Amino acid sequence: MAENLASKDWEPKIVAIVCNWCTYAGADLAGISRIQYPPNVRIIRVPCTGRINPFYIVKALQTGADGVLVSGCHPGECHYISGNLVARRKFAALKSFLSYIGMEGDRTMFTWVSASEGDRFAQVIRGVTAKVKALGPATKLKKKLG
Amino acid sequence: MENIETKLREEAKRLLLEKKADVIVGYEKGTLPLTATPCFITTPEEADKLVWNDLCTQNLAKFVHDLITQHKNSQKRVKPEDRKKKVIGVVARGCTTRSLIIHLQERQYGRDEVYIIGVPCTGYMDVKKLKVAVNGADIVEGSIADGKISITTAEGEKSIALKDVLAESCRTCRFNNPIISDTMVGSPVPAMNPDHEYDDVSEFEKKSIEERWTYFTKEMEKCIRCNACRQACPSCYCPTCFVEQSQPQWVGIGEDKTDTQVFQLMRLYHMVGRCVDCGSCVAVCPMGVDLRKFLKKIDKDCWELFGNRAGSSMEDTPPLGKYSENDKEEFIFNP
Ligand code: SF4
Ligand code: SF4
Repeated sequence: MAENLASKDWEPKIVAIVCNWCTYAGADLAGISRIQYPPNVRIIRVPCTGRINPFYIVKALQTGADGVLVSGCHPGECHYISGNLVARRKFAALKSFLSYIGMEGDRTMFTWVSASEGDRFAQVIRGVTAKVKALGPATKLKKKLG
Repeated sequence: MENIETKLREEAKRLLLEKKADVIVGYEKGTLPLTATPCFITTPEEADKLVWNDLCTQNLAKFVHDLITQHKNSQKRVKPEDRKKKVIGVVARGCTTRSLIIHLQERQYGRDEVYIIGVPCTGYMDVKKLKVAVNGADIVEGSIADGKISITTAEGEKSIALKDVLAESCRTCRFNNPIISDTMVGSPVPAMNPDHEYDDVSEFEKKSIEERWTYFTKEMEKCIRCNACRQACPSCYCPTCFVEQSQPQWVGIGEDKTDTQVFQLMRLYHMVGRCVDCGSCVAVCPMGVDLRKFLKKIDKDCWELFGNRAGSSMEDTPPLGKYSENDKEEFIFNP
């Protein structure tokens, strides 16, 4: 990635779409506990991962995100009982299809973080940031503005 | 073939005479040589127009949905007690019945609103492939019999084997016999070659990521956003498609190439558990975009991840509308 090498201090933009009941609370806990994690994520709070239209992920990539993270409650712990399980199916199909057409798999990540896992939240963000950094700035599917 | 056609016409006549159906959706001879086109039969006399042969291309389930929706909308202003029910008869082969099943699963209409005349299918001719086979010459006349196509072009006469110009979807079709029907015309035929249905996809999967991306972008660059693929698809029936939505505007309408990619990506994704591989979209695409390469992957994933083949059984429900506790989870990121 030429662009990446040219600007050594490039930082990835990562969109994290998280559910209100588990991961958002987990992020809160990480904050309250003063756990450090990279500031590359922009968090979007939604009621449930089941509410996430896969279009959000594709749109985020098109409009400039270098990576997208989706996180919800662990299976079996969904506030709405099964929202995350339905979401799991949607994302499995989406992720597989995106890599089939030639998108880098690490640009779309899915995980579960519960309200009590502030630690895990920070770890996930560190992990995702490192992976996206390694890939460099997104070029595929990205709209050139202006 | 002849025999099926005669029976089909008789059946259509009977249904219209006995008022079991208000209209029959079928195929008639097209205006160009070697074509068949969808038609709507409303009187018994017209039934003799119906044909059934290797040129019948489009998935007629699309029209069934259109007619029923139109009729229901027209009844909205009628007093409930005066509302009329309409029954749509349809000539349906395997993939058409799969689409009908999808409509029924998605509660688009009731089973009693369609009368399915099932026909066995041995595949249809791909017009684009034929065009290539005759080197793009204009076809003046043509006929098809016993798997042989005889063509007269401006350059002379030619004979081509039907199996060489069979549509890609038909080559490896698993469900060429109707899955549900009210009456069957003709007897079931063996499946085409289903063991090899994913060969194409598996080969593509093995390519490098850059090769795959290049192929995707190259194919999408051909697309002129005419939306014919969507119009032809029986599973694309939303009154307002995401393509036309303006609040929010999901895809830009300009000629930006990422907009085209996103449009295609999302239409393809909407086919999870809903594409029956009828090839209608491929047949109508004026630019010859290789949509099937991507649609078949969706079908493969749906089978491998959720054990579902779109519209293959009345008992099944849409795979994205349900879940199993043991769904595969390998893709979940665990740092
Ligand atoms: S996407 Fe194409 S092949 Fe699939 S059901 Fe629709 S028209 Fe048929
Ligand atoms: S029919 Fe072909 S050219 Fe038209 S929108 Fe579909 S893929 Fe694009």
